[in-house]
Formats: sequence, C-alpha cells, structure tokens
Amino acid sequence: MTSNESDHDEYDDVPLQHKRPFGSGLKRKRVVFVPASSGPLNSTEENTTPKPSKSVSDLYLSIVLPKETSTAAAKEQADKDAPKICEVCSLPVNENENAKLGTIDTGKTEEKTTSRPHEASIAHQVCMTHSHPPSAVDRSRMGLGVLQSQGWDLDSRRGLGALEQGMQHPIKVTPKNDNLGIGVKVPKNLPPKKEKVQKLDAKKVRKMAEEDKRRHERLRHQFYGNSEVEKYLGPG
Amino acid sequence: MADSKNSSKVSSDKTDRKRANSPYADATAKRLKSESKTEKPNPYLAHWEDESNMNNGFSKGSPFKAFKRRQTTAKQAAKAEDSDNNPFTGQPHSQQYFNILKTRRNLPVHKQRQEFLDLYQKSQILVFVGETGSGKTTQIPQYVVYDELPHLNHKMVACTQPRRVAAMSVAQRVADELDVTLGEEVGYSIRFEDKTSSKTMLKYMTDGMLLREAMHDHEMSRYSCIILDEAHERTLATDILMALLKQITQRRPDLKLIVMSATLDAQKFQRYFCDAPLLAVPGRTHPVEIYYTPEPEKDYVEGAIRTVLQIHAGEPEGDILLFLTGEEEIEDTCRKISLEVDELVRETDAGPMAVYPLYGTLPPYQQQRIFDPPPNPSKKGGRPGRKCIISTNIAETSLTIDGIVYVVDPGFSKQKIYNPRLRVESLLVSAISKASAQQRAGRAGRTKPGKCFRLYTEKAFKEELIEQTYPEILRSNLANTVLELKKLGVEDLVHFDLMDPPAPETMMRALEELNYLACLDDEGELTPLGSLASEFPLDPSLAVMLISSPEFYCSNEMLSITALLSVPQIFVRPAQKRREADEMKNLFKHPEGDHLTMLNVYHAFKGVMNRGEDTKMWCHQHYLSFRHLSSADNVRAQLKRIMETQGLELVSTDFHDKNYYTNIRRALVTGFFMQVAKRENNKIYRTLKDNNSAVMLHPSTVLGADYDWVVYNEFVMTSKQYIRTVTGIRPEWLLELAPVYYDLETWEGQKDVKQALKAVAEKMRRRNAMKGGK
Repeated sequence: MTSNESDHDEYDDVPLQHKRPFGSGLKRKRVVFVPASSGPLNSTEENTTPKPSKSVSDLYLSIVLPKETSTAAAKEQADKDAPKICEVCSLPVNENENAKLGTIDTGKTEEKTTSRPHEASIAHQVCMTHSHPPSAVDRSRMGLGVLQSQGWDLDSRRGLGALEQGMQHPIKVTPKNDNLGIGVKVPKNLPPKKEKVQKLDAKKVRKMAEEDKRRHERLRHQFYGNSEVEKYLGPG
Repeated sequence: MADSKNSSKVSSDKTDRKRANSPYADATAKRLKSESKTEKPNPYLAHWEDESNMNNGFSKGSPFKAFKRRQTTAKQAAKAEDSDNNPFTGQPHSQQYFNILKTRRNLPVHKQRQEFLDLYQKSQILVFVGETGSGKTTQIPQYVVYDELPHLNHKMVACTQPRRVAAMSVAQRVADELDVTLGEEVGYSIRFEDKTSSKTMLKYMTDGMLLREAMHDHEMSRYSCIILDEAHERTLATDILMALLKQITQRRPDLKLIVMSATLDAQKFQRYFCDAPLLAVPGRTHPVEIYYTPEPEKDYVEGAIRTVLQIHAGEPEGDILLFLTGEEEIEDTCRKISLEVDELVRETDAGPMAVYPLYGTLPPYQQQRIFDPPPNPSKKGGRPGRKCIISTNIAETSLTIDGIVYVVDPGFSKQKIYNPRLRVESLLVSAISKASAQQRAGRAGRTKPGKCFRLYTEKAFKEELIEQTYPEILRSNLANTVLELKKLGVEDLVHFDLMDPPAPETMMRALEELNYLACLDDEGELTPLGSLASEFPLDPSLAVMLISSPEFYCSNEMLSITALLSVPQIFVRPAQKRREADEMKNLFKHPEGDHLTMLNVYHAFKGVMNRGEDTKMWCHQHYLSFRHLSSADNVRAQLKRIMETQGLELVSTDFHDKNYYTNIRRALVTGFFMQVAKRENNKIYRTLKDNNSAVMLHPSTVLGADYDWVVYNEFVMTSKQYIRTVTGIRPEWLLELAPVYYDLETWEGQKDVKQALKAVAEKMRRRNAMKGGK
C-alpha cells in the first residue's frame, strides 16, 4: 500500500520548521497523498520502519511516536478481503475508500475523491494511543523518588492503587464566599456600577476649581516653557 | 442517642447486683481447661479442630450446650436469649432485659437473623446494608457474638464506629441489651479512653482505635470477627482498615469481616471485596416527596428562611429540618427565623415554633434540646406548634431525630479539603453530592410520609451535583496516614489496595513532610523517630515536637500545649458578650503568643482545680470552655502515659529562669517549622515556601505587631486568609532547628525571605566567631 508508506515518509521529509508541534491534533486535516516513485511494493514489512535520520527531532519523534499507524496499516493490508474492523478504533474500515486510494496515482484524481482514508477520520485519530508530554512535577522531589522506587511512573498519567486506577490530580475547590444558590450563573460582564452622585459644598467646589486651575497652569507652562516651541513660535 | 436516655438507670441497677460468688470463676476455669486441651501446633486453627471438645466443656445447664461455633441457628440463639440465666455471665436476667428483648425482636433486622447467620457462616466477608433505624449497629454484633461464642476461644468481636460518641453510647446500649456491665463483657475503646477488661468479648471502638491496635498486631490476632459499621461514611480510618483487612483476610481464613453500610451504593463495597455476598435489610422509612425550585435561588440562606416560614404557615403538623453550612450561619438564621415567626404568629393564626441550632461544637446540653417535644399550641384549640432544627450535615447521617417531616436542603455543606500544593487543609463551603442530597431527603420520612424542599432546580441536581461525596482520604493531609501505614508494615504505598487511592501528589507531599520531620529517611523508610512518633495518636508534627521537647527542658509544658491544641477552641466568645470575653482573655494574655496564652489558661485552670474550687464556675466566669479544658486535661494525662512508657523525660525549666518561655517557643519551632510566616508590612504576613500566600493574623490573636517571624497552628481560609494561634519566634531558630527545610543553598523563590535568612545566618556566624575568639 503505497499511500501508507508515503504517509511515513512524510515525517522524515518535512523540514523541521514546517512540522506541527507534537500533540496538536495529529491528523485532523485531510491527508495528501503522492504515489511512491518505486511503484507498488510487494511486501510492506520492509518499509514500515522509518529511515534513520540524523535530526534530533526525528530521533525524539521516533521514540515518542507509537508505530501504531504502520502496524494497523500492515494488518489492513494483510486481510484486505475480509470485512475489516480497525484495531485502533474498532470501527469497520470502509473497503471502497482504501481501494480507491490504492489506485490513485495522480494528484488530480486524489483531490476529487470526497471520502477520506480511514486513518484520517477523527474517530480513528481520537482512539490512537499517543504519548503525552512529560509531567511538569519537579523530578528532584523526595516523595516522587519514593513512589518511583515502588514502580510508579510519573509520566504514565496513572494514579495510585492496586491497578493504578486512582485519581491523578488532587481535588480542587474554589472557596465560596457568597450566598448564591446552586446553579446560579453570574454573568461575566456585568454593567459597571454607577458611581454615587457626590454632593459638594461651596468649599469643595472652590478647592476643586483651584486645583483645576493649577493643573492647567502647569500644563501650559510645560508646553510653552519648552524652549524649542518658544523658538518656533518666536518671541511675542 | 435516644437509646442512651434510659440506659443510665439500668446500669446502676446492675452494679447493685451481687457478683461475689458468681459462676464466672467456674467459667474461667473451664476456659482454661479447654485451652489446655487444645495443644495443637497451630494455635490459630485450634478452635476449628476442637469444637467438639470445647462443647463438651459446657456445664450441663448452659444454654450454649447445643451450640457449635459458626454453626448456630437463630432458633438456638433465641432460646438462649429467652433463658432465665444470662448465658455469658450465668447471672439471672433482669426484668429490664426481657423488656428490651421484646423491643429488640421488633427491629427490622430481627426477621432476617437466620438469613444473616446463613450468609455469615458461609462466607468470610459479608456486606450488610441496612438503613438507619434497622437496628444493625446494635443487633448484628450481638448475632455475631452468639455465633462466635467469643468467651470460649479468647477472640473478640470488634465493631468500629466513625465517631467516639456513637461508640460509647452504642456500647452502653448493647451492654444493657445483653444484661452485662459496660466495660466487662461489652466494652468500648476510643482515643484517650479504654473501657474494656480481660472479659470483654464485644468491643465497640472508633475506626481509628482499631487502626492503632493494628500497628502493634498486624494480623489483628485478638479478633475473630471485625465489623466495620457506617462504612458508607468512608472515613479515612475505615478506608484504610478496609484495605488492610482485605489483605489480612487472605492470610487469616479464620477472620471474618462484615462491612455495614447505610446506603445502597453497597455494590461498590461488594465489588471491592471480590464479590462478597450482600444482605440488605429494609429500614423503617416512609415515602418522601421531593420538590425543586424552577429557577436557581439567588440567595440560598434567604431562600431557606422563606421556605421554612412557608412550611410553617401552610403545611400540616410536623417538624422541620434545615441544613446549613456552619455555626455562624446557623446561629444567624436561627435568630432571623425566630423573629420572622414571631411576626407570623402576630399577623396570622400560625402556631408557635421553637428554633434550635445544631452543630458539632455546640455543648451537649444544648444539643440535647433538639429532642425536646415541639411546643404546645399557644392557646387552646390553636394550631399545633412545631420545632425547626437548623443543622450542619451532622444531622445527615450521624444523628437521628424523630418527628422530622419536612427537610429544607439548600445543597451546601462545609467540607474539609486538603490542597497539597499549598499544604493547607481548609473547611470550605461546597455543593453536596447526589447521594448526600438523597440522604438528607430521607430524613423527612422517619416517622411518616414527608416532604423535601430542595433550593435548586432539578436540572442542577442532575447536572451539577457530583454522584458521591469524595471520601475523606481524597480530601485529607496524608502525613499521619502514611506514618501509620509505614508502621502497619505497608511497604508499597503505590499499589496499596485502597478503594479510592489518593492523588499521587498528595502522597508525595505527605512523604516529604514526614521526611522534613525526620520521620522518614530519604528512601521513605521509617526512622526511629518516625516509629516513636507513630506511637502518639497525634499529627506527626505535634508528635515530633513532643518527642524533642525534653531537649529544650520543657516537656511538661509542651505536653500541655499539645493537649490544648488537640481539643477545640478553649476560649468562649458569645456573640452578645464579646467585650467581656475579650477582657477575661486579656487576663491570661502572654505577649509572645497564643500558645503561651493557652498555657497560662491551663496553668490557671489546674491551679483552681488543685485548690479544690469549682472549676466549672471558674471557667464560666472567665469565658472558657470547661468541657474542652477538662478534655485537654484528660488528653494530657493519656499523652503523659505514652511519654512515660516510651521513656521520654518529663522536665521543666525553672519558672523564674528567663529562658522558661524561650525554651517553649524553641520547642514549638521543632514541630511547626513548616508553618511559619514572615511579616511583609504592617499587618500582612506571608507564609513561607510552598504555601506562599499573604495572610493576616486572626483577630483572636493576643500577639501584637512585635514579631516579624511567627509560627502558626492553623491556616484559615475564609473571605480573607488568616493564620490562627500564632506565637512569635526568632529566625535564628529556623536555621538552627530545621536546617534541611531552611537550606539556603537550595532555596527557590521568595528572594526577600532568602535575603533575610541569609542576613540572619551571617549574623549568627559572626556571633559564633566572636565567641570563638574570646
């Protein structure tokens, strides 16, 4: 199956800067296919492993990325004739799509096919196992060391317990300091509160006027006191 | 609770009874004889093999003649119960006994006694579901006793309770039912009080106590059957016991386990115990109609008050139970409702209503008031009166009040939540769970069909409430638990089979806290200090403080302070007499902090006691809680005993020495160095390290603004953040007494604190150099 093979090559050939960051929705977008230059292959095993690459990021990806897609693909290839159930997402694989894809040899026809390959479907993508970014917990903590020595893996996203089925994160509760009942939604953008109308007596008014005047004066002085402005305006 | 009312009379009757030449002596002799017969290599299995032998040991007249251990029937037991002489003591039964027996036989569980015995004998673990009022707490242990015959094989039956009060009152009740003296055949054991004897065959105890016993007896070899009651409450200790017993039952096939729950989520227990059989007994309940509000309630307290008044004005006779969150809110609402009712009575022909608060810290005589009958109509032929009880969630499961027909449920409760990142355990108001809401509603149907008014929408009930309340183990600081587990011989903390394992972060934090306290080494192994600390039924930090106090020549004083910190607040501050109360408190004030002020109170209290004056009166006059002070005194005596058995010296600095209080403050630092705050400006302090938050001293403190560094006992999170019970310290002590925690080399964050501590270190270095130079 050439399409799958090229699928793998893609990882190696895409320059680093064009690679999407790891973990961002793996293959939501339509997968674009190009026919392999060497023609259809007889055996798939040979090419399932990606070519060794010198790039550090490729090495990293080859470690963290599971080889699920390739093995699943190999399986599909093997029992092509039987009505297949995808191993990853346990949904039936649409035969016609694959057949169509197998025969695609030009970019043009490919663009016209409306149905996507099964591997590109969201259902399949969601079910794929993929590793998570490592935990942010400080690795030097004594408590972590003890748990790890007892066989707990920080990055496995598992809890404690006989089957490591426990909760992963402590319970979070935000303090409640009001009397709002359950289910009351506080609208986020409340209209700003109206300020109380202040009552002013004569003394306050005088004071405010004075302050206003002083500020005005200062501004004017700053502006007109500027030597460059003065030069520009000329004396007088 | 109601049970214990008539119990005191009975016990006094019994003590009068003569026991001088009881056939008990014979019984013991027989027991010894039968024991000597069973000299098999495996003492555990002895009683299995030798049942026939043991039965021969019965005297001719014993009602137990035909009994075969773990093969008895309900009929046999009933016959034994009906006999004239008590089968356990040989004494004749009192009239009281037969009266009680009649009521016992009317309990819902009684009908299923045979069914229970069949299942019990067949399986090692049994899950038993019985709603409150089914009689399971008092009856099931007795059924087990009649089947286990513990007086013959030297192995007790234990029944755990989450609460001390329940353990005590139920033990008293069951002692009456079995017609024995409390503390002999039936006893109880709670923290700081053990009322059992060598004769004890049925022991009620708090779950925490059984756990402590297990620390020294990993196989629980003293027991042949353990009953975990109120397992649905999922207390920390019950959860650990379940995990522990799950292991032990595999090692000890002769140990039986019964898990009793009041709610129907028992399937979870069943699944956890590898599909153990389940027996359910219906409670005595009536249908409860449930009502929701069509719209969410803007103010639940106000909504609750209006609902109560609405019920009072419009609904037929029956008492009201309103659930609120805390003491202050409850007292406030009590006042408001009373005022409103007065108005209602004046305006309409509504009947009188008595309003009672109910919360944990309420003194017992006030708690008793909730059992008073409702008030009579104000005039002849007038509308009947009713009572309204405003309670925290202690009325949800632990307390049964008859006569409640209406329940008002705003859907909130105060819950303890631990935040391992801040290392703070706080009581926060949060929405209850669906299970909890159902439990509350059920309270309305105890005496007749009732109604429950929920102050939220049905949609909110379905969508916003969680299914089950989080068990305590997920909401607690686990430092103490981890220490206990280590002492219990649990090596693998990761795969310890808890029903709901806590979050890894909480576990890590607990390990680290214990590591800083030097109770665990860097590999997580128990140190000698940790082993010693686990002997104390205290928080590890308090235990460590107590253990190191002899080094500071103040172990007597630290003993008092520790006891005072393990009881509720000793200062009373009634809302109407705040000023007077504060004036009285100032009499005891010590300028260096609250711990020392409390110590002054205790010394004064002891002084009054030693002079033989009326301490109760004295406490009342000085706005102190007599109850909490005397329980602190009791706790102190118990802790002192532990200190003595552990070989820790009890010493004091001479009171006139100028270092008397300094030594105490330094000793405080050894336990509380992780709870230190440094002043930032005028009134704002900042707690150190992980819990980096701005706090204020709690208004109740006696401490002025003289100290830049303080230790605190409690971090209180309300609308503002406070630290409560504070004492001033010197920063030098932190570097000196907790060098690992305050290691400036690895210090991260809080640059200003680091700077300050560096300056202190520098000063210390110079001073030492000076001394050296001299």
